[in-house]
Amino acid sequence: MVGKKFSIFNFQFSIRSIRKLIKIWLLIASRVAQIQLMTGWGGFAFLLGKIIRFLFFFVFIFSVLSKTRSLVGYSREQVVLFFLVFNLIDISTQALFRGVYQFRRLVVEGDYDFDLLRPLPSFFRPIFGWTDILDIITLIPLGIYFWLFVVRNNLFVNSASVLIFILLFANSMVLGFSLHLAICAVCVLTTEIDHLIWIYRDVTNTGRFPTDIYSKGIQYFLTFGVPVIILMTIPAEALLGLLTWRGMMLSIVVTAVFFLLSWKFWRYSLSRYTSASS
Amino acid sequence: MRKYFSLFLISLQEYFTYRLSFVLWRVRSLVSFLVLLFFWLAVYSQTSSFAGYQKSQMFTYVIGVAFLRGLIFATRSNVLASWIRDGGLNIILIRPLSVFKVLLSRDLADKLLNVGFVILEIFLIAKIFNLSLFLPKSFLTIVCFLIFLALAFFLNFFISIVISLTAFWTDDIWAVRFLFGVIFLELFSGALFPIDILPGGLKNVLFWTPFPYLVYFPLKVWLGQANRGEITRIILVCAAWTILFVWLAKRLWDKGYKEYGAYGG
Repeated sequence: MVGKKFSIFNFQFSIRSIRKLIKIWLLIASRVAQIQLMTGWGGFAFLLGKIIRFLFFFVFIFSVLSKTRSLVGYSREQVVLFFLVFNLIDISTQALFRGVYQFRRLVVEGDYDFDLLRPLPSFFRPIFGWTDILDIITLIPLGIYFWLFVVRNNLFVNSASVLIFILLFANSMVLGFSLHLAICAVCVLTTEIDHLIWIYRDVTNTGRFPTDIYSKGIQYFLTFGVPVIILMTIPAEALLGLLTWRGMMLSIVVTAVFFLLSWKFWRYSLSRYTSASS
Repeated sequence: MRKYFSLFLISLQEYFTYRLSFVLWRVRSLVSFLVLLFFWLAVYSQTSSFAGYQKSQMFTYVIGVAFLRGLIFATRSNVLASWIRDGGLNIILIRPLSVFKVLLSRDLADKLLNVGFVILEIFLIAKIFNLSLFLPKSFLTIVCFLIFLALAFFLNFFISIVISLTAFWTDDIWAVRFLFGVIFLELFSGALFPIDILPGGLKNVLFWTPFPYLVYFPLKVWLGQANRGEITRIILVCAAWTILFVWLAKRLWDKGYKEYGAYGG
């Protein structure tokens, strides 16, 4: 098994090379954590801001749903669950793929050339070059609360729904990776990334509430255009036992298509990379 | 005055040079607006009144937020923090210009363009969703709303300046801006939803901060949900907050200016 190799992104993967990549990622992540935690006040302000934002939305949803009792057919607890799953996935993708926010500087200043010379997959530094320790710190209490909320409110359907949720959570990570890779590809071609990543963030915010609140046309866009429904809503539906097999298969197929298209686009963008400022 | 008017025109020209950036910024604002709109459409599909807000009042509130985001929140004064850290401030200091007036000229250009686009967007969305808007019954309410807008405009400008001026003493300018200029501003001002939906204790804490005077209270006045006594009180409190932040900005500037090392300029 250790010797078996497969090739993705023109990089020969084997169990050994994956272990090496994880080791490199851990090294980078620990360095970044030191930088983030070194500026104590800055790290504290970011962490406090994220917690306040989460709590504020939580109280808002609870207050609204305490008065209306339901939203588009979902109970208060179910709507809160959608919100919690949204936060889990949103914070996980941000924690892991934060490197995208630094990528423009690498391209503009030409430093990305050095990364291309290294024996690493071309996407490694753009996507995984910065891991946000503050998001990871936020994820720990959020994950614990999420689980307690599911158990206490009897939202736990059966073990199969939990397994499907975990599978679809992983699927969301792959989809999140694909979307971030596509944004990096646009950055290589145009050096524009800031607005694009923020538009992506704003569109994903539509997943904060059950996406049934949107009109059919917008729901199609959120499934096949910027697939927020696949990313955020479907894993929550799976946990609640509301997801059909068709929905699950659609989710996996859409992710596979986005993954392949993003990869093709990334390769195309690299073929156009001029390393102009190096 | 003419030199500041020239700066205002130059700032406008900058926007027309970087058109894509501006369009993408408008797309972002539109997406945030639509998320809120759809949420309230879903809530009002099962009720005609919620937390004391009739349907037309709530949609007027959401539209009012979009308008006030363009008029009050749109600002370029955050650039002052970068100028202080990278020495860009030097170029202003050696010229016969007031830093605050330079930033105000840039802000006015920013607001003019944003408000122009917001009005167009609101008109289109109100037509598409067939939204009926709540209009004030008396002329006095409109006058009070306009007074509020003027005060909120300067209050936000000086809050932003005070946040930027912390750059004289800290490198973490983005952390300070994120906490006070994004999180507190967005959440505590009522820019996401009317604050009186929140539980009483939390609501009362927020009323002790300057942020609700930027969005929530002006819109309460427009919606006719404040009587004359309350309007007078909240206008006076808003004026007091504005004076406090003008004083704070001047004091921080005087203190910071003396410590300014002009690195990198």
